[in-house]
Amino acid sequence: MVYKNILSILIIASTVGAMAQTDSAKSDSLLLLQIQSEMQQQAPAVAAPQQRVAASANPDISVIGDFRGLYRSFGTHNADAELHEAEFSFQSVVDPYARADFFYSVGEDAKTGKFSGGIEEGYLTTLSLPWHLQLKAGRIKQDVGRVNPVHAHALPFINMPDAYVAFFGEEGLKGDGLSLSWLLPNRLFFQELTVEASSVDTESPTFERSSTNNYLYLAHLKNFWDLSSNATLELGLTAMQGENLQQKLTDIGAIDVTYKWKPVRFNTYKSVTFQNELYYSQSSFDSISSVAPALSPVTVNAIGFYSLLNVQVAKRFFLAGRYDYTNKPDDASFVRQSGTLTLGWYATEFQKIEIEGKYSAMNEAMAENNFEKSFVQANLRWIFVIGSHGAHQY
Amino acid sequence: MKKIISTVSIIIASISITFAGTIHVVTTTQDTKSIAEIIGGNKVEVFAIATGYQNPHFVDPKPSYIIKLSNADLYVTLGLDLEAGWSPSLLSSSRNTKIQKGSDGYVDASVGVTLQQVPSSINRSEGDIHAFGNPHYWLDPLNGKAIARNICNGLEKISPANKEYYEANLKTFNEQIDLKMKAWSTAMAPFKGAKVIAYHNEWCYFENRFGLKIVDFMEPKPGIPPTPSQLVKIIKEVKENNIKVIITSPYFTASSSDVVSKQTGAKTLTLATSVGAFDAIKTYYDLFDYNINLLKSNLK
Repeated sequence: MVYKNILSILIIASTVGAMAQTDSAKSDSLLLLQIQSEMQQQAPAVAAPQQRVAASANPDISVIGDFRGLYRSFGTHNADAELHEAEFSFQSVVDPYARADFFYSVGEDAKTGKFSGGIEEGYLTTLSLPWHLQLKAGRIKQDVGRVNPVHAHALPFINMPDAYVAFFGEEGLKGDGLSLSWLLPNRLFFQELTVEASSVDTESPTFERSSTNNYLYLAHLKNFWDLSSNATLELGLTAMQGENLQQKLTDIGAIDVTYKWKPVRFNTYKSVTFQNELYYSQSSFDSISSVAPALSPVTVNAIGFYSLLNVQVAKRFFLAGRYDYTNKPDDASFVRQSGTLTLGWYATEFQKIEIEGKYSAMNEAMAENNFEKSFVQANLRWIFVIGSHGAHQY
Repeated sequence: MKKIISTVSIIIASISITFAGTIHVVTTTQDTKSIAEIIGGNKVEVFAIATGYQNPHFVDPKPSYIIKLSNADLYVTLGLDLEAGWSPSLLSSSRNTKIQKGSDGYVDASVGVTLQQVPSSINRSEGDIHAFGNPHYWLDPLNGKAIARNICNGLEKISPANKEYYEANLKTFNEQIDLKMKAWSTAMAPFKGAKVIAYHNEWCYFENRFGLKIVDFMEPKPGIPPTPSQLVKIIKEVKENNIKVIITSPYFTASSSDVVSKQTGAKTLTLATSVGAFDAIKTYYDLFDYNINLLKSNLK
């Protein structure tokens, strides 16, 4: 602080000195007088603001299209194209105390071709709670891991990770309730603790919307470190409990670890993201679907994880590879493994095209996969945005 | 021993008192940081989110910035949607009511700036068009005065007791800009009307202030990377107009500019878009010293 004071005095002293020199040089050439005159003409610009674009109280509105082409190596109707989803978003500050975000999604049923819609998310976020608290109220995507809170169009892959689908469903985990987050007073690195209580939106493979007061409870601790100006590390720890499909309780513990390298100077040209997520569930059941009803309640411990490497190879090209491994939350003996490769071309911030190949192998044949134990899928996705769409999380 | 303990206690106490009065300022860029440090003097501690060699449109909203924002007393943004991709989410996550838009601790540095290239309509087929006008206004040193006035107003709102101190620093800053402006204008006077090519449309304020003439851009449209057909067009324009210089920025790769340079002999100059772009540029004044010296020696 002493040095700062001295520095400030020196700056002031040097500028005062410079001013003295200015006075002595007032009889300069015609050019300098012209410059002075020009600068004086500029002065009113500071005081008289220019008319700007008319203010509007309308929220930021955007529509995101998600068009897809699909191919599967099984079934009679194994190639198709669909407008998979159209997402309408409305985002704005409500008043000095809160902001609101609504996302209405219309999706196409691949079998019937009919569209149906619903509120994907719709919540209020406080801006003025004390003690670095922030509350969300409404329909929210639960704060578990790195995939669930992100809307599908912003992910660097088309097919969701097998473990994510097995534990939370294709559409992920979301529900109506409250989410309270606290920015921990840690000056060394970022820490945020989130606790949530909500009812589950629809049935997922793990949780269901309870007919009693069994809500889904969640706690998530996010830790974030700047390893250098170009590299970061994030560690997320999640614990949750909710009612499962047999009205018993399921506990899930989740860990996510993400390393990012993104050179600050050329951050639009190259980056590497290594993202990993693991779910471990412990469920109580009266019976297990794959075996005869049990005489006494049974406990199933299941695990699932994915590991993703996403490399930005050029300004507009991303190449992502992912390995998936998962059990089913109600069947620990089931094992599915997959390898996925995705190539993305990002035309601008508002348009991208991705092609993806995925190979899956399972130890049990399933009806939904035409009883094939291994199969291949290929996908094409074209994302396009109109309007003003807000930024996504880091 | 008692003496040492009491001395240490006095030092700690005095340091605590000193820091307790410090105003924590977070700026989005290094340029506003430099000006805030000049206006705030020893009353402020300033942190800038973007580095000087980073594209301010595309800053990653790292959670670590939220820590800085959560403890800030003043937030200075360049505004005009320049930071639209990352600033709102950081502000919202900061949980800091003092620096939200509309609060006393929120400073839009663009207020009062005469804007250029304000579109009459918005159409993304024209590339990255900014609704409020070209946002790179800090590259005109006289706009630095408006930035300084806005920062000074913000500091006075949250710390009225030091009003005279800030006003004195503002006066010094304005006088220093006026003084420097004479030297910069004199240095650039011989090159008035000199034709140049720029990589991205971010130099219009600098161009108009110092009388350069940007003939075309390497990007066919703002934000769209150079295409082969655009490079052919540029090569033709460089040859036809005898253009000596291609202006680019630290955060753009030189590959396409180098192609034009090789074909035409025009020099690619990486100018500084912000304080800290290069080691020699430590203040807002240095930013123009560096760019003008570089242009002067290459436009001869």
